[in-house]
This record gives sequence, C-alpha cells and structure tokens, in this order.
Amino acid sequence: MTTATEERYGVGYLEERRLSPRWPAPVAHLVNLALLLAMFYATWWIFQDPRGVMRLYTPYVGYMYTRWLLIILIWMAYIFQFWPMRRAQLETWHPLLKAAIAVPVAVAIMWVVIHGFFQGFLGKMGIAYFDPSRTSTLPSMTAFFAEEYAALAILMFAALASWLAPAWVIGMERAPWQHEKQPVQGLTILIVTFFLAVVLYFVTMHPHMGILYYPWQYFTALAPPYWESFAGTVSGNFHVAWIMCATVVVWLVETIWQRYPFRLIERPWLRRFTTFFGIVAIAWAFHLFLYFAQELFLGEAIRGTRNDNAPDWRWLHVGEMMIFFLLPALYLNFYCGNWPTKFSVPVNLLVRTVIVGVAGVALMVLYYNISHLVLGTQRGISQPEQFPMIPTIWLINIMLVHHWYMDNWPAWRKAVPVSAPAPATRRPSMLGQPAGSAAD
Amino acid sequence: MSENSGSITRRDFTKGVAVGTMAGAIGAMGVYSYSPMRKQHFAKAAPPKVNIGEVKSVKVTNISETSWFDNKKLMGDIKGAGGLLVNQYTYNWPPFAQVKGKLGKGSYEEGVRNIKQFLPGKLEDAWAFQMENAVNPLNAGGFSALIEVETLEGEVKRILLDSGWSYDWMDKAFKREGIDKLLAGGKIDYFVISHEHFDHMWAIPVTFKYAPTVRTLYPKGFYPEGLDYIKVAGHRGELIETTPGLYKLFPGAALYNFQTPIICRVFGEQSLFFNVKDKGLVTVTGCCHQGILQFASTAQRAVETKKLYGIYGGLHVSPFDEWDPKYDDLVAVFKSWGFEKVGCNHCTGILTAKKLIEAGVGVVKGTARNGTKDPAYLGNGDTILFAMNDVATTPGVAGPAAGSATAAPAPAATAPAGGGVKY
Repeated sequence: MTTATEERYGVGYLEERRLSPRWPAPVAHLVNLALLLAMFYATWWIFQDPRGVMRLYTPYVGYMYTRWLLIILIWMAYIFQFWPMRRAQLETWHPLLKAAIAVPVAVAIMWVVIHGFFQGFLGKMGIAYFDPSRTSTLPSMTAFFAEEYAALAILMFAALASWLAPAWVIGMERAPWQHEKQPVQGLTILIVTFFLAVVLYFVTMHPHMGILYYPWQYFTALAPPYWESFAGTVSGNFHVAWIMCATVVVWLVETIWQRYPFRLIERPWLRRFTTFFGIVAIAWAFHLFLYFAQELFLGEAIRGTRNDNAPDWRWLHVGEMMIFFLLPALYLNFYCGNWPTKFSVPVNLLVRTVIVGVAGVALMVLYYNISHLVLGTQRGISQPEQFPMIPTIWLINIMLVHHWYMDNWPAWRKAVPVSAPAPATRRPSMLGQPAGSAAD
Repeated sequence: MSENSGSITRRDFTKGVAVGTMAGAIGAMGVYSYSPMRKQHFAKAAPPKVNIGEVKSVKVTNISETSWFDNKKLMGDIKGAGGLLVNQYTYNWPPFAQVKGKLGKGSYEEGVRNIKQFLPGKLEDAWAFQMENAVNPLNAGGFSALIEVETLEGEVKRILLDSGWSYDWMDKAFKREGIDKLLAGGKIDYFVISHEHFDHMWAIPVTFKYAPTVRTLYPKGFYPEGLDYIKVAGHRGELIETTPGLYKLFPGAALYNFQTPIICRVFGEQSLFFNVKDKGLVTVTGCCHQGILQFASTAQRAVETKKLYGIYGGLHVSPFDEWDPKYDDLVAVFKSWGFEKVGCNHCTGILTAKKLIEAGVGVVKGTARNGTKDPAYLGNGDTILFAMNDVATTPGVAGPAAGSATAAPAPAATAPAGGGVKY
C-alpha cells in the first residue's frame, strides 16, 4: 500500500496492473499493431533508414544507440522499477505523459553513457579504441571506421548487459538484495551486472578489438583469440552469437515459458543458480544448433571466405536468427495475454513455443524479402552491413515503452488504476500480468 | 524437488522425469550440433564438373587500380551521406552530380539529365560539369584491366574488365595503355562489367566512346539506374545479362556470376576464370565481393582443372584500409589454398597485401607508378602473365615472376614484421 513513508515506486506495478482491451479483440489488435508499426516506421525513417533523415544505420552507430536504448529501458523499468517515478504517478498519469518523460530520460542517459562515459572518460583516460576522435588520427584510419569500431565496442557492453541485467532478476530473483528499497536495489544490481558485463567483455570482445588494429595488439589483448580453433574464426561474432541467444532465452523463460521448468525447484538458491546458468546452457544449445542448421542449408562454412559461407558470418547469423523469435514471444505476452492459458502448463508452454517458432521463421522470411524495400537495408541475407537485429530491437524498444510506460494505450486501458495492496511475497517478475490472462 | 520428506510423490517423480528429459534433449541438441557426427547429414554428392577447355596463357595489364586517391576523403563522403548502405547514385558524386550537388542529396535521374547530351562523344564537357558541381570530383579514379588470352590455337582474345569511374582519369589511362586504339580498332572481344559499383562502371562512356558496339556483359542484379546508364552512355551493341552461375566465354575462359549483396546498394558480381594448360585455374576479379576463396572454391568445384594456380585483381578485403578479424581468417588460410602466383591490388588493400606477405604468401610486387602509392602489390601500368610455360614458383618463396613484364614477386617474410599476423 502506498503511504507517505513507504513509497513503493513501481514495485509490483506491472504484476498488479490489469489491462483490458478497449475494443473487441480483433479491432484492438489491429489498431495496436497499426500504431506500433506506424511509430516504428516513423522513427526508423527519422533516425535509422539509409534513405531517411539522420541515417544512423551506418550500421554500427545506429546499432549502438539501439542496443543502449534497450538496456537503459530495462534498467529504468525493470532494475530500478520505475524509480523515481512515484506509484501514484504510474497509476494516474496519462500513458502519453509517462512515455513523454521516460523516453527523453532514457535518451539522455544513453547520451551520457555513450558520449560521456565510454567515449569521453574510458576513451580518453584508458582504452583508446572507445574514442573515435583519438583513433581516427592513427595512420590510415578513417573517421568513419574509427567511429564504427568504437560503436562496436560500446554496443557490446549493452549486449552483455541486456542479457545479464534481466538474467539477474529472472535467474537470481534480485537476490541477495531483493528486500532492499529502490533505488538501492536497482543501483546494486546495476553495478553488479555491469561489473560482470565488463569482465565478460574483456574475455569475449576485447581480443576481437585487439586484432582490429595493425599490428595486432599483443601486449594488451590475446592474439589470435583463444576461441579460434573451436569457432573456426578469430572474429568475436562467435561470442556475439551466444550472448544474443542468452538475451533471447532470458525473455523466453520469463514470458512464454513462465520460468518453467526452473520454478519447480523449491530451494531458493539452487533454483536461482540453476535458472541463471540454465539460461546460459539453453542459449549455448541454441547457439550450436542454429550454426548446425546453417550448415545443413548452406553446407560447411569455409574459413577465409565471405558472407554466408564464412564462419564469422554464420555465428553472427545465429544471433540474428534468434532475435526473430523474441518479437513474437513478446507480442504474445504483452498483447495476447500469453495465449493460450487454458490448458495444462506443459501444453500451454508447448503451444506458445510452437507459435513463437513458426512466427519467428515467418518473420525471418518476411524480413529478408521486404527489408530492402521498406527499411532501406541491403538486398540478400548475408551483406556484412545487414543487421536484422537493429530494426527488430528498435521495434522491441518501442514495444517496451508502450507496454511498460504506456499500459498498451490506446487499444488497452487499465482496469484497476488505483493503488493495489502490497503484494504477498512472490518471485519478482519483469513483466505485467498480460491482458486477459489467467494464472496457470 | 520436495525437501520435506524422504519420499518422492508420483507427481514430483513425473515432473523430475519430464524436466530431466527436456534438459537432456536440449543439451543433446547442442552437443550433437557441434559433434563430428553432425557431418553425416551434409550433402555428399558433388555436382558434375564442366570441361571448359584450356588456354595457353593469360596476360593482365592493370590499366588502373586506383579507384580513388584519398581514402579519408572517400570515407568522409560515405560517413557524411549516412554510411555503407546509402544508395551510391544519391551521393552527388561524379558523373551524376546535380547543379551544386550536396552530399547524399542527389538522384540518378537528375544527375544523368545533366550529362546525357554529352555522352559518349563529349566527355570533356560532361566532366567539366562535374568539376563544378560534383562532390569531390578529383577523388574519382577507377578500376579497369585488359586481359589478353592466348588460346591453344594461338589466337589472342581480349577482354576489357570494367571501365573505372572518372571520365578524365580513365580516358588518360586508356590512352596510356593503348586501350583506346584497341577499342577503336575492334580488337576487344568482350567488355565485362564486373558489378555496378561507381569505381568500376561509372566511366563506361569512355569505353563506348571508342567502341559503342562492343559486346558487353553485365551480371544479373543491376538496378534500373545502372541498366539505363548503359544505354545513356552510348552502347549500341550486343548486351548480355549473365545469370547466376557459370557462363562460358570461349574455350578455357568463363565467367561466374554470384548473387552477392554489396555495399552502397549494389547487388551481384561476376568474375572471370581461365584454365591455363599444365598450370591450373587463374581467377581475374574486379572487386570479388563474393570473396576470393569463395570464388576459387566455386570455380574449382564447377570446372575440370588441375589446381588453383593464379590470381589477379581486387580481392575485396580492406579497400578502405579498415580491418576486421574475419580478414585475418583469410590471411590465416590463404597460403594453404596453394595459389602459386598472386597479383592483387585495388580493394585488396595495401594492409592486406602486407599481411599476406607476412604470412608467407608470394604476392607479386608492383612498381608504384601512374598514381599507385605502394609497391606492395601490382600498380597502374603493371602487367602479370600466367602461362603454361611459367617457371614454377611456390608460395612464400621469392623468385622471378615468370613472364612478368614489369613486376616481380615480393620476397616472402620469414617472420612477422612489426608484430603482424603469426600464421
């Protein structure tokens, strides 16, 4: 219960919020989809499209901003549980007002992190490749690639964090700080997960960055990287792939799988560690399987070749394929009440998994057939500058703002817009109870 | 999972079995996907090889490999226009400049309207307009090569590969190498456009000025702008669109069309290969966006040949002196493919040439004249010969470039210089 002395901010807000469609189901979904896609396309044209206004899809600069917006939205709504927005504000303010505050704040944080922390502080005080103004002065280095290299390094922190931050909530259940108040809890989890991201960055992407420059930076990075023989490439795309898989699996576990089967484990710490590392194990299984799937379709990769025959591209494409499954999973959860919910848990999970699998493949086929016409990307699947992760995560960012801050407005409305009683002790969830869903 | 008693209920047991089975299935999926056993699922039947015949020799004259002169300026334009996927026709680069054209704000339709009246006869006038209105017109150069093939019967067939970018630069380069006379005299049998990129195709009016009816081959994948430009540029002869896959030119010579996506909104590239008697396959490429090893392995699988013997052309590794670890993958394995004579330049990148030399690959050196900046690879005006009577050279061993008129192979490095690639 919200009191003057015990402000709950957004703790339990998404779980307690009840959303009901404003119109009958097909109309609500059609209106919602039209609005989401309109917002996506308008912002894509303004910020990303190579034919549009700002043309940030260079590609890495646009990708960097997209990934950082994702993790900052996760931090704000999920790690900090909407702090410092008060509970009453969350419940009573108009969705547009909440979004109008949240988005500029997220952009401002992103700007400070990228240009202040990485390029300004780390780049000028420690690691040169974060600062394009410094590396562009190197012999033969152009300003364009100095910026692209820096963007790649910076976005990889966001990629790692967007797996680790939600994994700490879903896997570790915010423990051992789950009883701390905000913003202490959020700040602690942010520091811990960002620390882990830094450690993992140095053993996954730093060796990749170390051989980007000539001569190889033997004194500061492993060269060639240790994964060379296992992955068949020295490219860090090998790590990009499993990190991307882990990012997607975290959300699959949280949404369509409702944390099954891990929630069956009753001992808290055993459950937490099993969930956290189970997500990684599932991610690795997908990681290797999707590479194998490409071998079945395209034949064995040949080291030293380019595009779809090269191991580095195949690994990258593992991550690219995986992201296509995240979109339908989130849509199913955010807007379809995690349908179906009427069967037994295993059947519900299985049906959702099949839906997400089929929809993901359909999206992939659709994307590679129309993206060059609609989004201004390159025709074909294996252009090295073709990153399906950019538009898909861009759309996911819009869906996150829409679901978390805008309560699915206008096609849905909050049925209970007043402060609910404090919830009973429960495992924290990152997502709201979907519209019309029933507990399994 | 129950911890409050020593007994296990049927429900818990069932759950445990289900979870264990699921975890096992996912784990097995992952392990199997990386195990050697997975290879039994790969297709084993290789397509039948085609006999394309043989030739005696292939001589390549590098008319121009300097597509642009200032890398920073070119990448500054690409950065300013919005990156690597921006449509090349919108840059306001020559020869498609609008009046006082602004970077990234142009269009083919408006650009070509300003030069149409001059093509192909009055190229000086068309270029004068570019000098006044285009973005960085002096940075434009171009890629073009003359390939002279001696057949087993002793006949010489000539192929002009690409026509460069700047009308001014390419016209001078053509005159320097005598290409203008060969074209005008009908001595060029084929004009092959490797792909639609500005630096390979935009100076086609220079070719058509001298030989408007030359038999011209372009790869499937051209955009409407490129197709229109071939007509506007003055071509009136046979025009052939090659389809994906193998296209035989004459005995011992063939094209291979790859439907590969390329930066600056370009799609599809074709490359040449020749089967030199007693030696093997020689690849000649424009940019080779499909990847040189991809091209080599495809050609080797497609045609009957002794081995992979030689290379000439752009290998498209680090054209902007940029780098990516995947390029080190190429450097790491290149030597093992057994090419005996490697004549690379252009979009291979000087850095790549240096790394290949450090890795022990016998890259043929150039003379660094006529605008080429570095002798690490074959430069403008240099030639290379791949002939059945070549003295055998082995990769990584310094020796004379047999039959080469103006170039000698680079000495192979015995140890990485400056901490470069250690392979």
